[in-house]
Amino acid sequence: MLSPSEVISTLEMVQNEHLDVRAVTLGLSLVGCVSDRLETFRRNVTERILQTAERLVTVCDQIGDKYGIPVVNKRIAVSPVAVIAACFDAAQMVEIAHTLDAAAKEVGVDFIGGFSGLVEKGVARGDRSLIEAIPVALSTTDRLCASVNVASTRAGINMDAVVMMGKAIVEAARQSADRDGIACAKLCVFSNIPEDIPFMAGAYLGIGEADAVINVGVSGPGVVKKAIDRAMASTDRPNLGYLSEIIKRTAYKVTRVGELIGREVANGLGIRFGVVDLSLAPTPNVGDSVGEIFQSLGLSSIGAPGSTAALAMLNDAVKKGGAFASSHVGGLSGAFIPVSEDLNIGEAAANGNLSLEKLEALTSVCSVGLDMVALPGDTSAETISAIIADEMAIGVINRKTTAVRLIPVPGKQAGERAYFGGLLGEAPIMSIRGTTGENAFVRLGGLIPAPIHSLRN
Amino acid sequence: MQKIIISVFGPDRPGILASVSRILFEEDCNIEDVTQTILQTEFAGIFIAQIPADKSVEWIEDRLNDALNPTELKATVKVLKGAAEPALKGKQTEPFVITTRGPDRKGLVAAITGVIAGYGVNVTHLKAVFRGGDNPYDNMMIYEVDIPVDIDRQRFHQELRQKAESLGLMISLQHRTIFETINRV
Repeated sequence: MLSPSEVISTLEMVQNEHLDVRAVTLGLSLVGCVSDRLETFRRNVTERILQTAERLVTVCDQIGDKYGIPVVNKRIAVSPVAVIAACFDAAQMVEIAHTLDAAAKEVGVDFIGGFSGLVEKGVARGDRSLIEAIPVALSTTDRLCASVNVASTRAGINMDAVVMMGKAIVEAARQSADRDGIACAKLCVFSNIPEDIPFMAGAYLGIGEADAVINVGVSGPGVVKKAIDRAMASTDRPNLGYLSEIIKRTAYKVTRVGELIGREVANGLGIRFGVVDLSLAPTPNVGDSVGEIFQSLGLSSIGAPGSTAALAMLNDAVKKGGAFASSHVGGLSGAFIPVSEDLNIGEAAANGNLSLEKLEALTSVCSVGLDMVALPGDTSAETISAIIADEMAIGVINRKTTAVRLIPVPGKQAGERAYFGGLLGEAPIMSIRGTTGENAFVRLGGLIPAPIHSLRN
Repeated sequence: MQKIIISVFGPDRPGILASVSRILFEEDCNIEDVTQTILQTEFAGIFIAQIPADKSVEWIEDRLNDALNPTELKATVKVLKGAAEPALKGKQTEPFVITTRGPDRKGLVAAITGVIAGYGVNVTHLKAVFRGGDNPYDNMMIYEVDIPVDIDRQRFHQELRQKAESLGLMISLQHRTIFETINRV
């Protein structure tokens, strides 16, 4: 028989602490759809998505209802389009983007990712077409997400690609100027991108994966915050070792839920289960914020001195708890600190407690990087590229994944706000220091060589 | 050998289980199942045991009550007839947990179990506390139930929600596995 405390703690997590399964992502290989005829390729892609994902949303809803834990987002991640559509030019890539977007709408998923390229060592024909297509592709679709990996510890930083991405971001913002540059909110630039990611906007299905696989991304910042609050209230002298243990146990519980539901969905669809991505991903709702965890740990705000240490502890504890809960952990796994999607982090950025520089420091110990950061609309492509390069360097030298999702908001200045709506939320536009003059460093281009520790073999 | 079912009720105190089990041992009875609980200050225990052919049900009951008499505890013994059949024999079921929280009033258990019974759902465990006051956890019912897979679970859930709403209760219906997954290694 279940004990009342088991029942109560579960109900608290589900009903009062925003425990949910953030996303079930169907990874779908489109390698078999390849054709050098655009119409054939598009038709193959559409058929493949419609056939495999037809029941995805229904099954997710049924499983969510059975366990009383909602699957908030249902998504699809496909093989990197720059690889499977390498023979097409930029205009044709845009048509492929529309095909993916239409198929996503047809099966009712929230996002489809995989408009992606891997260019850490060099830009191939398909990659160039894809990057050139990104601004139009993202500004003329609703559900398509794109990602480009421009650096890795093994290969170094492809500064030519970094420059291209700086220009792509500025152009994507310009083409979606009427919506505060929302196209950029669907574009991630990575270093050390994992072989397979189920989390948007960077999601894609790795080349080493099976034909179809179900991955699940769990969330739960609200659950972690409440667990810390309870621990703080229950003892006179809580120390960080104790709190780390609390976070670890909570991450374990959250991950177990994700794996259970992911496996059920996979069974329901007759598709192999892949991995749990155990990231703490916030929403713009009160009580579902990563930023609030910092306050529960005794900091006045995220961004205050001590924040990097707190985030390092949080991230590590989440990974430890998750690793015990599931043998199949992947993706990004850790804490996300997006400025626009997290109410508390957004407030810290708005009131000056969190600067772009401190955000960059935080990214050295967290999962992703400069995520959903709104910048002044007149920020130059060179400046964007330079920020990308800085973030890539943190990833390359520290052998970790980092990424940027930057949004230069057309027509707006630092201190104003950008509005994206829904899960993407809103964000204060952050100022950038030291941008006067040109950035000749970025223009040098070329490949920043791989660091010495890449020679490990 | 015959099987008997023994129920023991009365004010809780140390040594009740020891007394009952000692007498059953002395009478050469073999205990197969025991469950006991304490509701507020009252002990409630149920035993299933095998008795030897030369002992009668009445004899066992008298022996138990003689021993328990000074403590206001009362034992009742009856024969367990035949092999027991599951309550939902032959039906495929899934284990769910129904939880309600909210203000106390008369008739809560009757109202919720009425809906449960109406769908042929079997309650396997019930833990209910009604202490009054504002703390929702002082007034809650936890039903572990087996739901036949061939019923319309959405309709069942909907009817439960409507009933709970009319009583001012919050209600949840969740698969039992989720509780075990979250809480047990």
